[in-house]
Amino acid sequence: MNKALSSFIFMVFACLFFAACIKDTNFDQAEDIALTPVVELDLIYFNLQAGRFFDTINSTQILTVRDTTEIRFLDDSTLQESLKRAEFHFIFTNSIPRDFQVDFQFLSELNDTTYVAATSVAEGTIATPVITEFTENVEGEGILSLTQAHKVVVSVTIPSSNENLEGTLNLKSKTTYFLEY
Amino acid sequence: MRNFLTIIFSLVGVFAISQNKQILYGFDDIPQSLMLNPGSKVLQKKHYGIPFLSQIHVNGGSSGVSVYDIFKDGNDDINDRITQKIFEMKNTDFFTATQQLELINFGWRAKNEIYFSAGIYQEFDFIAYFPRDLAILAWEGNRDYLDYEFDFGEISTTGDFMTVYHFGLNKQIGKKLTVGARLKLYSSMFSYRSVKNSGTFVTRLGNENSENIYEHTVQNADVTVETSGYASLRDLDGAGQVTSEILGRAFFGGNIGVGVDVGFNYEINDAWALSASALDVGAIFHSKDVENYRAHGTYTLDGINLIFPALSDGESTFPYYSDLEDEVEREIPIDTLHNGYTQFRPVKFNVGLSYGFGRFNATGACDCLNVGGENLRKQNIGLQFYSIFRPKKPQMAGTLFYHRRFTEYLSAKATYTVDSYSFSNIGLGVSADIGKVNFYIAADNLIKYSNLAKAKSVSLQLGFNIIIDEE
Repeated sequence: MNKALSSFIFMVFACLFFAACIKDTNFDQAEDIALTPVVELDLIYFNLQAGRFFDTINSTQILTVRDTTEIRFLDDSTLQESLKRAEFHFIFTNSIPRDFQVDFQFLSELNDTTYVAATSVAEGTIATPVITEFTENVEGEGILSLTQAHKVVVSVTIPSSNENLEGTLNLKSKTTYFLEY
Repeated sequence: MRNFLTIIFSLVGVFAISQNKQILYGFDDIPQSLMLNPGSKVLQKKHYGIPFLSQIHVNGGSSGVSVYDIFKDGNDDINDRITQKIFEMKNTDFFTATQQLELINFGWRAKNEIYFSAGIYQEFDFIAYFPRDLAILAWEGNRDYLDYEFDFGEISTTGDFMTVYHFGLNKQIGKKLTVGARLKLYSSMFSYRSVKNSGTFVTRLGNENSENIYEHTVQNADVTVETSGYASLRDLDGAGQVTSEILGRAFFGGNIGVGVDVGFNYEINDAWALSASALDVGAIFHSKDVENYRAHGTYTLDGINLIFPALSDGESTFPYYSDLEDEVEREIPIDTLHNGYTQFRPVKFNVGLSYGFGRFNATGACDCLNVGGENLRKQNIGLQFYSIFRPKKPQMAGTLFYHRRFTEYLSAKATYTVDSYSFSNIGLGVSADIGKVNFYIAADNLIKYSNLAKAKSVSLQLGFNIIIDEE
């Protein structure tokens, strides 16, 4: 009986171990796992005084002012692969009694233009600044171009100015990055 | 990232483990029960573990999720399941893995009736708590979590890879009490930990006075990762060199630690017995090859502030981006430190209360196992309690067991365990002597063996010994 019993117990164990399995699962689904975070991130901001559009020394108008910043993360290879859509949101608060043309020119490291966006900003007054919002949605082919960009040139153009012009053009901006890993 | 997740989720289920060896504890027929209670009753005169085969132990566990939860075959989307699990799990849920391999284990009863035992085993022990907030941030991003403070304090993980040299004494004092102690020397091969972190990350919508639309703030961050045995590996070339370097440390080439196990077994009366043990009360002192990283500080990111400076031809504007990077590095510096640290071993407690009945008499004539004149019981039932200290809080388990000696050569123990992983953990262990060779195997979560994917933890020990009984 002892032998029978021990054989039996070993059989039970053997069965358990050989029967041990992983079933009703499908590991191919790992291919479908996708992280899809949506990241909100501040972009650029500035406060442009009206005086910046007039050269008091030479008494001449400065119709366009420009500045450039690198945005090195954009042409990072990880982001290139994972960025599906980007939504830029610009909020201008204008207390200068002029409307403006604002251009965003995205450049590659070699200064080739990869993407452009532009908007006009409504004029305001010091007493009642006017808010202009502008959204640029980039997806599909646009993403390919955008993620080649290494820097952005911001150009602000005023139709006319004089030395008595007052007020401020303020910009706040953010980007919503729709990612997929 | 996708591959990383796959590996993590696969490990979770298939290789799930904790350190509880509820079946082996108190299973006196198996010499390795002495490793769980140095004061347990020793029945044999001598034992030799068959080198490298005397105990193979793997144990893995995940308290919050099983492989099946994620990879089940169904029509719903796997990403929905992951999302659901991330939100269901708490920051006290954890993933653990333990593996032990005995290289040598032997013991003998000396003339003074002290049972000496000694050996060497290698151990790998890993635990990571589920960093829920950071998982949400990685999985969902911050858009839907404005004003929510993501907590860096949830990062809590340790990992150790070491060799343990041990030497133990066990002696029966009087008729009822057996006591024992074991000295352990730890030779750490590789170790890391990241515990006691703090700080938050929050994205807040700014007001009209804010510089930009949002304020992204890292508040009072203090995140540390301590490593020992890692820095020197970084410069090595290829897996071969790394392996030989690590193995070289197995023989006290790395950092050294010391610890003790203590335990007792007390026979209250003819039927009842109480036992308890504390294991790995000790620490490893990491002083060699230590490299620690610490990031700390507070910083608010507003974006890039364009100044529109008046420039002459050929002049370039400010390096806004580099300046921003420098500012972040200045405000939240990542320091590399080389100061040593002390890593306490996870202390384990076992307590057992058993009630024996039925006198064991193997052959009827010869009471062969009844060496000291005390009663060996045919059957025992009882309760066990187990706990292990972990970075956030101890993990505990309660076990009901039934142990039965079928013959002189065969005994078995069945357990029902309630722990952090489940309420339905049935385990079974068998010890069989075939001639002088003792073979044992113990596994828990047997109900889940029909589909391991559903198990949140699996524990398995098996081994071979040569046992020489008392004449």
